[in-house]
Amino acid sequence: MEDNTSENTKEPVVPNSPIENHPQYEVELESPFLEEPPTIKKAGLSFQKVVDLITAYSFITPAVIIIFLFGLFPIGYAFYMSLINWNVKKGDFIGLKNYLEIFGSWENFFWVLGGVAVLFLAFFVQNKLEKAANKYSKYSWLAFLPIVVVSGILFSKGWSAMMVTGDKPFLQSLVNTLYYAMGTVPTQIIIGLVIAYLLYQDIKFKEGFRLLYFLPYITPAVTTSVVFRIIFNRTPYSIANRFIGLFGLEPLKWRFESTPILKLLGLNVEGFWAGPSLALIVIMIFGIWTFVGYNVVIYLSGLGNIPKEVYEAAEIDGATKWQLFRNITIPYLSPITFYLTMISLIGTFKAFNHIYVLKVPSAGASVVTASVYIFERFYQFTQFGRATAMSMVLFLIILGLTFIQNKLMAERVFYG
Amino acid sequence: MVNQDVLKQHIGTIKKTNPALRILGKIVLYTVLIIGAIISLFPFFWMVSQSLMTLGETLQIRWLPSVPQWQNYAEAWSRAKFGEYFLNSTMVTIGTIVGILITSILAAYAFARIKFPGSNLIFTLFLATMMVPESVTLIPNLFMIRGNIIPWGNWNDTFWVLTVPFMANAFSIFLLKQFFQQVPNELWDAARIDGAGHMRFLTQIVLPISSAPIVTVILFAFTGAWNAFSWPLIVTSRKWRTLMVGLYNFVSEAGTETHLLMAGAVISLIPVLVLYVFTQKQFTQGIATTGLKG
Repeated sequence: MEDNTSENTKEPVVPNSPIENHPQYEVELESPFLEEPPTIKKAGLSFQKVVDLITAYSFITPAVIIIFLFGLFPIGYAFYMSLINWNVKKGDFIGLKNYLEIFGSWENFFWVLGGVAVLFLAFFVQNKLEKAANKYSKYSWLAFLPIVVVSGILFSKGWSAMMVTGDKPFLQSLVNTLYYAMGTVPTQIIIGLVIAYLLYQDIKFKEGFRLLYFLPYITPAVTTSVVFRIIFNRTPYSIANRFIGLFGLEPLKWRFESTPILKLLGLNVEGFWAGPSLALIVIMIFGIWTFVGYNVVIYLSGLGNIPKEVYEAAEIDGATKWQLFRNITIPYLSPITFYLTMISLIGTFKAFNHIYVLKVPSAGASVVTASVYIFERFYQFTQFGRATAMSMVLFLIILGLTFIQNKLMAERVFYG
Repeated sequence: MVNQDVLKQHIGTIKKTNPALRILGKIVLYTVLIIGAIISLFPFFWMVSQSLMTLGETLQIRWLPSVPQWQNYAEAWSRAKFGEYFLNSTMVTIGTIVGILITSILAAYAFARIKFPGSNLIFTLFLATMMVPESVTLIPNLFMIRGNIIPWGNWNDTFWVLTVPFMANAFSIFLLKQFFQQVPNELWDAARIDGAGHMRFLTQIVLPISSAPIVTVILFAFTGAWNAFSWPLIVTSRKWRTLMVGLYNFVSEAGTETHLLMAGAVISLIPVLVLYVFTQKQFTQGIATTGLKG
């Protein structure tokens, strides 16, 4: 900020001779020539300005061309393609029909959208009320419980209708993405926080440990996924089966297992509540293994920013280690936790490489997340119109999440 | 001063009150950290160990090869063509890095140091591209490189298709811009008095003091290009197949030849590993300060 303003004030001054730079009263003394200095100034300024402009525009041109052609233009073109009946060869313009076929009917779509909107509104109102009342109550959420229930009803009404009349495999892939997000995001954040906290203590080989934890994150996902394919093989002598054998368990089919986890455990549940398949859980394990290191690094930088005095003061008051962690570390890190949650959540909707490499046909649709499904729809079934429509839906979900992230980041109560 | 000393002593006595508990705490702490490290490392150990086994050994219950089979690497390199893929990936990675450096240094300089109409709008549009999932851009970009949108011919299975689309990204521009903004204006004023223009100021003054962010940009460009998978998968067939695509295809081509697959996996890992070990400070700092690249 400061940089900019100082640049502004200096810039017109530099090209002129030192005399003109100087105090204003000099100009006042020379009042008969008042018109002259500004014109000189203008001429000098405009020459430098023209040079600046030419430089600036020619400097950004290469980046603009590439980012426009391969980053921005494709968004518009994808939307254009989604309005066309496009299978390998370009067909007729069909408007929003591709979208309609995804949702089944617009009515379903609006029920779902309404559910989400009500929930967001409720949260927003609560936030505003709390601010107005200027206090934070532990039980204020109770008042909003009915609204949450209403939003849930709206959402599930629309969703179940969609599952019947809409594009079921795509909707199922969104459910799989949700499973994947719920299974990985909280786990990797908690493990990341714990490891970062332990590493932050006074220990030996700190750098060495950090180097090791970070390794899975920087190594190519395809390479490590190929290794996970072997570790979680269905053969009785695979590492995963040998490991559970230590506890006297029977060998499992791991990434070949399409049965939902709760059913596998012998519970008689159907549908969403039966949970993800074991094959998807293997993919989650890979996700956690990869991203813990990233979370550790971000948390470590956050831990470094907590003032030492706060800890010292609390220690003098006789706080235990656990109390320090619970009442100082966690609240101080809450913005980082929130940031990591949103970044990881958005990441699950983009995740592709490791899922694509780890999936096998016998795991069926149970491991296909949204981005993988869109890719298959386009790559194997060459339904370009439909696939781009789905990608726009995915994009909208990510936009929504980013919007919520920015809104909440701005409103965030620090000691939440 | 005195107060602080008293405080520190006081803290010291609190900590010393329970030595047994402290030692126990240390043991738990190290145990957790070591278990975590073993889990992080195990897949890498397994990869290397299997890559040195004979075909028979990979099918048995063994942790280590009886005699390391180094010729597996030679076989993976030539027969399984990992050598060819390795060269392709290397060239693509270098090309992408050079492209990113040129475009992002120039653009970041313009955004950071020159005021021009549209600068905010263009920069915001750039940043917006970071949110867009690859699923959205993949299909239109395929049409783009096939010459269906702009008639520049079909780039399929060439060096250009793997490099040009990635030769500029918002992340690198953002990172460098943040740094270039901090270069004091006095330096620019002095340079201008000496008759230097923007280009000379950039190459002779700004760049030499910007090695830290440039290394970070190179690191991210390297991992991005080297690890790329879905785009090379759809736009390469034979000639320009990259290491990641080769590895993925070998999963089905190899059948039971796990030892060759693992040798290929190790080969694909080595450049990243070497780079990481030598620059891990910049790597982790780059991620911690930008927080991006989720």
